[in-house]
Amino acid sequence: MDLTIKQLQQRLETQGYICDQDLVVTLYLSLKLAKPLLVEGAPGVGKTEVAKALAGALNTELIRLQCYEGLDENRALYEWNYQRQLLKIEIARGTCEPAALEKDLFDVEYLLERPLLKAIRAEKRVVLLIDEIDKTDPEFEAFLFELLSDFQVSIPELGTLKAKQIPAVVLTSNGERELSDGLKRRCIYLYIDYPTLEKEIRILQVKVPQAQEELVHQVARAVNFIRSHLDLKKKPSIAETLDWTRALVALHADALTPEIIGQTLSLFLKNRDDQETLKREVGLNGLVEQIQGMKSDSSTPARATCHCGHHHH
Amino acid sequence: MEVDPVTRAVARVEGHGENTLHHNLVRFTHILRHLGVRVSMAEALDAYQALTLVDLTSREQVKAALGAVLVKNASDRQIFNLAFDRFFVPPEEKTRRRTLRKQLEEEERRRLTEAREKLNQALSPWSTEANFNTEEIKTFARLPAREQKRLTELISRMHGNPVNNPGHLIARVMQSALNYWRYYLLKTQGEEARQQLEAELTGETEMDDVIAGVAADFYRDPDDQLLHQDMQQVAGTDLEKFTLTLERLSTRLANRLSRRYRRSNRRQKLDMRRTIRRNIAFGGSPLKLCYRSRRQHRPRLLLICDVSASMARYARFVLQFIYGLSSAVRYIESFVFSEDLERVTSYFRRDEGFVPVMTELVNTSRQWGKTTDFNVALKTFHRHWRHLLTVDTLVIIVSDTKTITPQEAARELAALRKRVREILWLNPVPRKQWPYLPGVNVFLPYARMFECYSLHHLEAILRRQMLK
Repeated sequence: MDLTIKQLQQRLETQGYICDQDLVVTLYLSLKLAKPLLVEGAPGVGKTEVAKALAGALNTELIRLQCYEGLDENRALYEWNYQRQLLKIEIARGTCEPAALEKDLFDVEYLLERPLLKAIRAEKRVVLLIDEIDKTDPEFEAFLFELLSDFQVSIPELGTLKAKQIPAVVLTSNGERELSDGLKRRCIYLYIDYPTLEKEIRILQVKVPQAQEELVHQVARAVNFIRSHLDLKKKPSIAETLDWTRALVALHADALTPEIIGQTLSLFLKNRDDQETLKREVGLNGLVEQIQGMKSDSSTPARATCHCGHHHH
Repeated sequence: MEVDPVTRAVARVEGHGENTLHHNLVRFTHILRHLGVRVSMAEALDAYQALTLVDLTSREQVKAALGAVLVKNASDRQIFNLAFDRFFVPPEEKTRRRTLRKQLEEEERRRLTEAREKLNQALSPWSTEANFNTEEIKTFARLPAREQKRLTELISRMHGNPVNNPGHLIARVMQSALNYWRYYLLKTQGEEARQQLEAELTGETEMDDVIAGVAADFYRDPDDQLLHQDMQQVAGTDLEKFTLTLERLSTRLANRLSRRYRRSNRRQKLDMRRTIRRNIAFGGSPLKLCYRSRRQHRPRLLLICDVSASMARYARFVLQFIYGLSSAVRYIESFVFSEDLERVTSYFRRDEGFVPVMTELVNTSRQWGKTTDFNVALKTFHRHWRHLLTVDTLVIIVSDTKTITPQEAARELAALRKRVREILWLNPVPRKQWPYLPGVNVFLPYARMFECYSLHHLEAILRRQMLK
């Protein structure tokens, strides 16, 4: 696969994933150097989306391993199909040699492939998404670390299986736990921050095409303002912005008013304290004023006062 | 095989050259390391490989590529950005900076000469040669103009005093005044002075420029500044912001901790794989079962906090941070000590908010602001509170190790160590000064000691140790 950086960017954009140069170069390097990509960032900024978009861009399958506390090799790598094995034992009882039976029992046909093994045995190069790696235990991380370094697994009954194609690996983390230095060292690192105003507008335009131009700008400005000016427990991220915009479209809103913001508040501030903070510190009216103020600031700064006067009616 | 002369020449230039990709990359990784970013050899190699894959004429791509392979956590990202912007600059910019630095140095030299002259002039009526050292002259140069004037006037007013060999005496007075000022400036501008020390310099001017510049820029960001500021220096309006930041950090850590130690409903799980294998001999009927077992214990925390005069301010912040964790950690016991030890757990069991509780504590406790005797404190602990210790207790000691009778205290500490899981020692004295503290050496064998004078330290240590 010989993509240039530019081609990769174009392909990602056709997948509806708006990305800046930083992100493309990082993704490109992880593909070229065949190293796992570790993605960190606040919840909802599009970490998982990176892997999905990548799979789309490379036109390949996405295999996902969702991590959780207590995840072990059996769930992540492979497991024997015990039920079938037990049945087989019952059926074969007294009719054949135990040694032959055992050999028979541990055959590929009794093997249940879990995501990691599936990625290794895939014929075509796949994208392997290991989601929320920070939720696993350190032991599992160490195991994973082994696997990611040489892409082979040994199954005692079957021998060593080597990857036919080294998969493109994307790991995501919410930073709940410090990952080991070893794992980090082996990865290419990508930190996704909250998007800039321009980027968020583009994302909204692509993801919610039904929304009016003016509404998109207002939403992006509002969210941008909330993120940078308020001290919140959970800042709204792209996922919330998208939800909010979709809701506004569903309500046939073509501009933000204090009333409509009040009705849809819970879509972008998912914490009661945060909602109170917004109402107390800025107020819904204040927020609308801010949005319009930002607009006049950017276009015609000289007339900003005129706009403000307008709002005091 | 014969190598053509051009290739040889190029190879030679590359080998010794100053301006090759290798050379610059190595220097850049050095700079990052000096700024406290951990860059391994493997990553440096990756960086080189990465650079061969991107368009070297695009600054954006080079920056993205180096960032992706060299910097592996979000907080180092800012340092990287600053360092990159300062290091990879066009030659003209480099020359401009060099001239600027020369000017600044020149300026500084001029200021020092001026200060020296002023000092000598003030002393000249006594025709005496006082040898001020550089430190003293620097101090004089750093004094506000008003103070300079006051000091020289003071000296000139001594004119009329009929003393034998007045020159010598005056010089002494002057020197001790300067010494006082030096101490005072260090104290008040301590943070600034410390930052200058913090970024270890390499001795190579060009690299040092970048390092010092990044360190200065980094600390200009108000939020980072707060996070990295010495707790001793927090005062006035910052205090409120600092307390808020502290609260937020501790809540965040508490959230993570509680998620980690959440009691799961799952009982012990059967390990089917091993069970089947074990039971092949019995015709596959599971006669003997194998279990998978794993248990997470919430740590018990026992905090022993030094609240002697030198430590009182740190203690306040550390106590608050630990109490921010109380929702996540099952059981926190706390003690304060200076001349002796007092248990203060009960104060924090009331639901009153941190500030009133703390105020009451400071008012009623007899330990606040006294001298330190860790030995007596630990003896008291052993006598009365030993029953609180269990094998999974995590003991956190907060102290600057400055105590009388450190040897005896170390013996007591050793006894404590045997009864608990681990002892963490948070020391607000910067690591560089540890070799000069006799306490550090004797306590080190029994406790894991961390440098901890900023919020950033405090949060990082507890996160790393408790989320292990």
